[in-house]
Amino acid sequence: MTNKKRSHQAEVLIEGMAEKLNRQIVGSLVACVHCGNCTRSCHYVLTNPDDPTFAPAYKADRIRKIFKRHFDWTGRVFPWWVGAKSIFTVEELEELKDIVFGKCTNCRRCSINCPMGVDYATFNRMMRGLLVSVGIMPEGVAVVSKDQWEIGNQMGVLPEDYIDTIEWMSEEMQSELDDPTAVIPIDKMDADIVYTINPREVKYDPRTISDAGKIFHLAGENWTMPSEGWDMTNFGLFSGDDALGGAVAGRVYEKAKELRAKKIVISECGHGYRSTRCEGPNWAGMDVEIPMESSVITMLRYVREGRIKVDKTRNTKSYTFHDSCNNARSCGLFEEPRELLNLVVTDFREMYPNRSENYCCTGGGGAMSMSEYTPLRLKSAKIKADQLRETGAEVVVTSCHNCVDGLTDLIKHYKLGMEVTQLVNMESEVNKGSGFNVSIPRRSIALSSNDFK
Amino acid sequence: MSEALHFAEHRLQETALLIMAGVYAVRLIWLMRFKAGKERQAPTGLPGTTKGKGIIYSWANIFMPWSMESARKHVLMWFQFGIFHMGVTAAIALSVIIPYAPEVLEITLITTIFQVVIVAAFIVGIMRIIRRISIPVLRAISSPDDYFSLILLTVWFFFAAFSVPNRWQEGETFLLTYFWLTAFFLVYVPFSKISHYLYYPFTRYYLGKTMGFRGVFPLRGTRRG
Repeated sequence: MTNKKRSHQAEVLIEGMAEKLNRQIVGSLVACVHCGNCTRSCHYVLTNPDDPTFAPAYKADRIRKIFKRHFDWTGRVFPWWVGAKSIFTVEELEELKDIVFGKCTNCRRCSINCPMGVDYATFNRMMRGLLVSVGIMPEGVAVVSKDQWEIGNQMGVLPEDYIDTIEWMSEEMQSELDDPTAVIPIDKMDADIVYTINPREVKYDPRTISDAGKIFHLAGENWTMPSEGWDMTNFGLFSGDDALGGAVAGRVYEKAKELRAKKIVISECGHGYRSTRCEGPNWAGMDVEIPMESSVITMLRYVREGRIKVDKTRNTKSYTFHDSCNNARSCGLFEEPRELLNLVVTDFREMYPNRSENYCCTGGGGAMSMSEYTPLRLKSAKIKADQLRETGAEVVVTSCHNCVDGLTDLIKHYKLGMEVTQLVNMESEVNKGSGFNVSIPRRSIALSSNDFK
Repeated sequence: MSEALHFAEHRLQETALLIMAGVYAVRLIWLMRFKAGKERQAPTGLPGTTKGKGIIYSWANIFMPWSMESARKHVLMWFQFGIFHMGVTAAIALSVIIPYAPEVLEITLITTIFQVVIVAAFIVGIMRIIRRISIPVLRAISSPDDYFSLILLTVWFFFAAFSVPNRWQEGETFLLTYFWLTAFFLVYVPFSKISHYLYYPFTRYYLGKTMGFRGVFPLRGTRRG
């Protein structure tokens, strides 16, 4: 028995673990047979093959050791024999932080490749939450979480800036469509759709808001954007903080309910879709009656129903599609974006692997906000860069803002010369009724008002 | 048959089985005491994907090497896995057949099949030991229990293979060792990684339930061409 003194933070973390453990997590913690099959599924391992510490089973064992030592009898009785080990110092907690935040994007690729069904990503997220609860987290996670708690969105967009941007985009829409009725309604009661977005759209990519607005307008949709509870992203997913996750998702649900909206449409964002559509009700402990869907599904429906017309001949470049991990591996959203993309491009090239087996953009799991891990992230992005290069496509399309940033970063780093765009931008551009003649999707970068003229 | 062998085949096995069953029951009760997570949201994914289909797919996908990339890309490993587990099944069955239905082993074809399967599993066991020692990643993730369990099973296969003919008249050493090892194995299993087969139905059930509900299972992807 060691006489090492346990820090208060380690004590709290272990106590917190007892509360967080559920049957699914315990099953995943006890079932690993160390077969190593997960190893070859992880992009960190594939790009760092000589370093065994990147193996999912190795990373999982850093958490499993603590579990075994405190909650599993084999580890309590024979700790050395089964590799059980407690945690004591702040330094050890910091090391754990670097593993759960810096060496895993919670992409769940190892989970679907584990013969035992061990869902490492789920308990990796649990450990993130436990570390956050004792104040140990990457700086970026702390800053973004604080913004989302205090200001209500993860990029600290102030209410007046949000409204200003929406009004600005509304004016742009009117001018581009030359239609005074083409406005973005705010807080309209009894709308069929309440459209929720990623604050990144407000801050860096407002064109996606007006593009979506044009599509809704041209489809004749009875829609609105909420003045509050508009951020469908949720840093609780990345930080593992269920309380934050519940609070953020709850704001979206409550506002939609207050507006008596019939449906919540979630703009193209992998983690936002997963958080709002799939995890939010669980975190918030709410049974949400309002249906929710991804804007990809909404747009596809408009095209299928003939409410908007598209002309794919306007997009003559070659395109490939990147599946967001959260969309594909956690919410089963992978066929609809392909169907929609094939309606708006003439040259679509599948990347391999794809759908549920696709590689992470390598910026997932909040990695884009953790600058201390950027060199490792970019090094580990080589597998994704090779995958993109192999398609020979000029443009990579994705339905996730986070992936846009992750892919843009790695494309620049590996000098792939590809463009990155989202379906909403493309669909707006090929929409016959939009009056647009633009056939080349613009990269999702920070845009000034001049970019729209 | 000596008293020692009779004891090893019957009373020892029964006692070991009882201990294993008892420990397993405690283990399952322990697992079930943890609250199961609940999915409140509406299902996602393509029409036709359900919790039920996800669970069945999840349980079955170990038998579908094409369904998981980790198996599809390493088919040889998958076959090794299959042979190893068939060997385990055969060696366990042997511990019941010898004491309770020895006449089955008088059929040459059956003894041959048993021996081929168990010897193949023994060879895979050796390969697995070498693999676990020689591959840095596997070394890094292995605990003493991982090595011991693998060595225990491989040695057990060795003695099981020689016990298949059940010719105790020609000497009892292999049979005695096999049955004592089986008894030790039964008692040790619940405390080791070998108990994974107890958890397998649960972990795969919950993963399948979640992934089926969310339309991820059955897996889709990587359809080249």
